[in-house]
Amino acid sequence: MTLRTLTSDVVVKFEKAVGIDFVTTNKVIRYSYLSKGIMGLDAILPDAVVRPKEVSEVQEVLQIADEHHIPVSPASGGLSGGFALPQTEPAGILLDLSRMDRVLEVDIDNRYVIVEPGVQTGKVWAYFRKNYPDWAPPVPDGAPPSATILGDAIERGFSLVTGAFGPQADLIMGLEVVLPNGDLFRTGSWALSEKGNGFKPFYRWGPGPNFDGLFLGSQGTMGVITKAAIRIIPHPHAKTIVAYGHSSFEAIQDATLNILKYEMGIADNLVMVQGGNWPLIMTRWPELKVPKDYDFYKKLNISEWWQNFEIWAHSDEELEFVKKRVAEEMEHYGDKTGNPPVEWKLHPKQIASRMKKPNLIAVPYALYRGGFLFITWYTPWNDSAEMSRYYSNKMVEYGFPPVIWVASIDHGRQAIVMPIVCFDSTDPTRVEQVRALDQVTSEYCYEHGWLNYRPNPRIHSPLMWDRAPTYFKYLKAMKQILDPKGILHPGRLGF
Amino acid sequence: MTRIEKYKKEIYRCIQCRSCYFAYSGEPDREGIGEHEGVLYEGIMDGCPAQHTFGWNAYANAGKMWIARGVIEGDLKLDEDGEEIRDLLMPCIVCGNCQIQCENKIPTVDIIEALRADLVDANVPLLDKHEFLGSKAVEMNNPYNEPHEKRTDWLPFDEFRNKNAEIGYYVGCTASYRQFKVSQSTASLMKKANVDFSVITDEVCCGSPLLRTGQIERANILVERNLKQFKQFKTVVFSCAGCYRTFKVDYPKLTGKPLPFEVKHTVEFFDELVSSGQLNPKQPFNKVATWHDPCHLGRHIVVDMEQEMLKKSENWLMDERKIKKAMSEWFAHPRNIIAKIPGIEFKEMYRVNENSYCCGAGGGVKAGYPDFAVDTSVERIKEAEATGADILLTTCSFCYYNLWDAVKKAESEIQVMDLFELLNQLV
Repeated sequence: MTLRTLTSDVVVKFEKAVGIDFVTTNKVIRYSYLSKGIMGLDAILPDAVVRPKEVSEVQEVLQIADEHHIPVSPASGGLSGGFALPQTEPAGILLDLSRMDRVLEVDIDNRYVIVEPGVQTGKVWAYFRKNYPDWAPPVPDGAPPSATILGDAIERGFSLVTGAFGPQADLIMGLEVVLPNGDLFRTGSWALSEKGNGFKPFYRWGPGPNFDGLFLGSQGTMGVITKAAIRIIPHPHAKTIVAYGHSSFEAIQDATLNILKYEMGIADNLVMVQGGNWPLIMTRWPELKVPKDYDFYKKLNISEWWQNFEIWAHSDEELEFVKKRVAEEMEHYGDKTGNPPVEWKLHPKQIASRMKKPNLIAVPYALYRGGFLFITWYTPWNDSAEMSRYYSNKMVEYGFPPVIWVASIDHGRQAIVMPIVCFDSTDPTRVEQVRALDQVTSEYCYEHGWLNYRPNPRIHSPLMWDRAPTYFKYLKAMKQILDPKGILHPGRLGF
Repeated sequence: MTRIEKYKKEIYRCIQCRSCYFAYSGEPDREGIGEHEGVLYEGIMDGCPAQHTFGWNAYANAGKMWIARGVIEGDLKLDEDGEEIRDLLMPCIVCGNCQIQCENKIPTVDIIEALRADLVDANVPLLDKHEFLGSKAVEMNNPYNEPHEKRTDWLPFDEFRNKNAEIGYYVGCTASYRQFKVSQSTASLMKKANVDFSVITDEVCCGSPLLRTGQIERANILVERNLKQFKQFKTVVFSCAGCYRTFKVDYPKLTGKPLPFEVKHTVEFFDELVSSGQLNPKQPFNKVATWHDPCHLGRHIVVDMEQEMLKKSENWLMDERKIKKAMSEWFAHPRNIIAKIPGIEFKEMYRVNENSYCCGAGGGVKAGYPDFAVDTSVERIKEAEATGADILLTTCSFCYYNLWDAVKKAESEIQVMDLFELLNQLV
């Protein structure tokens, strides 16, 4: 199907659907939504921005767009850099869901919260602090307060308890989805509430095979999610961080793996396990205003490679027990390998800073050279060191500081490995070098069976689908059923 | 070349993280003061009045940085898109909250003001009200279109004019023509503390409203007039937050030279006098009071402080703590004075210091968008009410004026009062 350029008569229809004050074709406003960094360097200016408030408005907007073959790029918080924006031309509308910002229900017995797509993590954290202090909403760790719960979940991102509970998408209990033809349905046990009887999203796996996997990770290409029921997490107040210095990426990986395998034991208390190398600290300041010799960081007791455990426990005794067991396991690893991890005694302010949720930890990497890109990968935990080392070397080869962040997912079953490419975003030559680095390293990563977190449609998707042609064939068939005219975020997943 | 080109490296640092939407963007666990009239004062809250009110990203700093980038890259053109840019840029109060929240330390206020100046350079028409105040400031030496000779009508005593004094009091246009209580209280307190000072009778408008609205060339005329007038003073004291900010921050940038005199705001000046006992509030004041930090006196000054310290720093990682300490000391000045008032029960609002919520009056907004200005101020009045305070203290003529407008609109029972008017009654 051919997609069409937005015309003024269609704009009028959108205005009737959501109200004239919530549709704009103003070029300057449209430009203000652009982004070229963090997750994606490429973005196309939308032809209009449409901001619905109600589900019925979303239905109407999609029906209008579908009727007129107008592309729709949905965004809840819009923090995926360029990837939150149109990727092909005609660009169509940016469907900004930020006005849909209600927390609709909290159920502390079934332990879920139902949110609209625009619920920001900063706001919902305050709401829970005030109203449900013993429960934590699943906010992402490392994303700023304007990130949304839903955005993180549907992108299969990181939650504050990913170390123990898996990616944010694993916490989903039910989704409400609107399709381009205006149809609305829910997933899981929530599907039975279609006739308005208020049934709960108590069970993720619904009537028959569950649809939610088609939307989690779809980057808005399959439907527009208008509500999510997502698990809330017990929020005990005995918490701390313990950190260790290591001799290599391999030591981080191997010393922690044994601990992470203690499921139904101390590993369940380790809600976040993450680490990296010392440039991860250096590049949070401007290149010309921060020491670049490791010796300086060594004097601050920062190891060349380090990792930390965020521990949550129901009592101080339990917390002390977990800390003791972690220390014992680290010592055991040292005895076995002759390469003992060194505990990094953190100042209470460092501990408090690390435990903040949501936080701004990932934001200031633009200070170092003026721009940055996260190229994020999933690997088996015990491949994380190899990937980290490989990427470090490649980043140096391409003239970038070797900045690597790594974290455990679901008790060390998987790792998220995130090279942070700090570059001068005012220099087109450097931007091209970032793309070249991404291309070369992605070929290597896909050869090893590793998976990109937010695949770049120009670099990652072709490599990815080349290795999974049959999967791709059926995925496209599903897309054809759900979105026959292909209006939803065209090009985002490489189709 | 546009003025914003100078800030290209900083503008390109914006990653659309949108932390600039909030107050306390890095303090999710900050203990609040509870819920009041449906607003939860807890953890991270909205902090950008324009984004909060108008919703579109273009009104937030993140959007503006991308608009600026569009201008630099030629995708947006000042001659073709100028009026649309103006209409999105001018409702910004340039309160500076975004600059405080920005982890990538983008000098947002400087960039927004530079882009406003670029619009003027490109002959994009000013808003009518801004044109009026700009032209009148140059013609009459004040933006209120008042005769210059009436500037000192508030003066009750000849002894406030002392040609040999080393300390000068720069009154500013609003306290000279509109808010005599501020000028009279300030002068009276100086007299009570036996300060050897003189009111600067030849002063002209500092240029703040012009600089905030992009009228740099007109502002430069006023800067030149002022700097010629009172070179003899070693110290110039300001009771107006906007004038103080303009002299302290803008004048050295505009002239390329340090000021030939020291500048102090009355919060700093009187804090020293109260701390040393030269001023001693003896009368009890048995009321509950809260304090509103004016943006020009608070955030704009600490941001400048931070920029200066970072400019000199060779190691930001180590020096950041010193900056935080200096900021905290600056915000303590009015609070130190309040703490010395016998009988007063002081309760802080939730959003304070560098995270203070703007009153809505600055950046040309009170003139250009009066409804938005007052609506923003109503939000601040509600926050003050949430503390249970009877009195909302501040010390900025613009905040004072706009907060009173909000009290009327919200039919609030809270009283707005200038800190030094109160102090003068108690000393």
